[in-house]
Amino acid sequence: MAENRKTFVVTRFDPDRDEAPRKQSYEVPVQPDWKVLDGLNYIKDELDGSLSHRWSCRMAVCGSCGMMVNGKPSLTCKDPLSNYGDKVDVAPLANFPVVRDLVIDLDGFMEKLQKVKPWIIVAKEKAVEEGTYRQSPEELEYFRQFSMCINCMLCYSACPVVGNEPEFLGPAAIALGHRYNMDSRDEGQHERNEVFRGEGTVFACSYANECSEVCPKHVDPAAAVNQSKINAVIDWATSFVVPRGGK
Amino acid sequence: MARASHPHAMAPTRPGRTRTAAPMMPAQFPLSGRYFTYTLFGATGALYLLAGLVALRVIWALGSGPAAWQSVMTQLAHPLYVLFHLVTLAAVIFVGVRFFRLFPKAQPAKIGPAKPPPQPVLHVMLYVIWVAVSGGLALVLAGGIF
Repeated sequence: MAENRKTFVVTRFDPDRDEAPRKQSYEVPVQPDWKVLDGLNYIKDELDGSLSHRWSCRMAVCGSCGMMVNGKPSLTCKDPLSNYGDKVDVAPLANFPVVRDLVIDLDGFMEKLQKVKPWIIVAKEKAVEEGTYRQSPEELEYFRQFSMCINCMLCYSACPVVGNEPEFLGPAAIALGHRYNMDSRDEGQHERNEVFRGEGTVFACSYANECSEVCPKHVDPAAAVNQSKINAVIDWATSFVVPRGGK
Repeated sequence: MARASHPHAMAPTRPGRTRTAAPMMPAQFPLSGRYFTYTLFGATGALYLLAGLVALRVIWALGSGPAAWQSVMTQLAHPLYVLFHLVTLAAVIFVGVRFFRLFPKAQPAKIGPAKPPPQPVLHVMLYVIWVAVSGGLALVLAGGIF
């Protein structure tokens, strides 16, 4: 296959040596079918072994290789290099502290994710002899799209509220909390809605809708966040009428 | 050049042992790409504030007698006021269209046993209600009702 050359301008940051991130250019001979990640792997393997970047599955499933490409959040294993001109600017995801080069610190997200309790909560576990928890296809449809999230963090890097309000839970965490709130097997809606109304409130979202625009799995986190606002208010209002959520 | 995010954006509660570089906002924020319409949407708030102040002034003149009322009406006919109201109208339409585009998907898939209508139906309903309410108000202002 014919190859051409592209200039990769990569943001570098070594916490032991650099005061602040800097740019470094590489000339990369690219193949027509390459993704942005292939170019970075070429740099790592052939030009500069000191470059640090995260990747794993190479098929848009693991969510590891999210980066800013020409200023926009991108899942680099899915993003063809043919989308770009001769110059490809690659930077770590926006709105995250940078550990090294293109690697961001995910601990803040992990804390936010834990807050929304992204697991099925039941008041009393069924005994094994009582059979499995069953769910109809219609019940699955209520939350299926939100369960497709791969935690790639593109939505966080696109969200202007995440960058300005550190307490905000953010799109992916809220979408995952909402996914369990909509699950017919779950009984934890009241607990999660309290989280949604409290610190890091869903109401901080100003509905820029950027999270949904950049989501590589078409999850539509903006819909989840804004549906959660309405659900959180209904839950709060009904708590006066039906004490303890009717339980 | 992107501007810095809040220094604690997406930072863990307890910082790790490795020094990290400060988080940066997306390079296109706030005036490039799709962020431009979002910023414009927020900026229309300033117009609504001014329009609200003009409305208060008109109401004040209404309570101050016919001479004050006539004076305000004369001022409102000035081309600058007309231009201001045209810009405000454009802002309202812009915000309305943006709101109607995003509103349907913000509706919960179900509230108890109740489900909202399908999103395209909801979308059309919003425009029908908008046209009906605007038409009704126009009739009231033209003296057709009351």
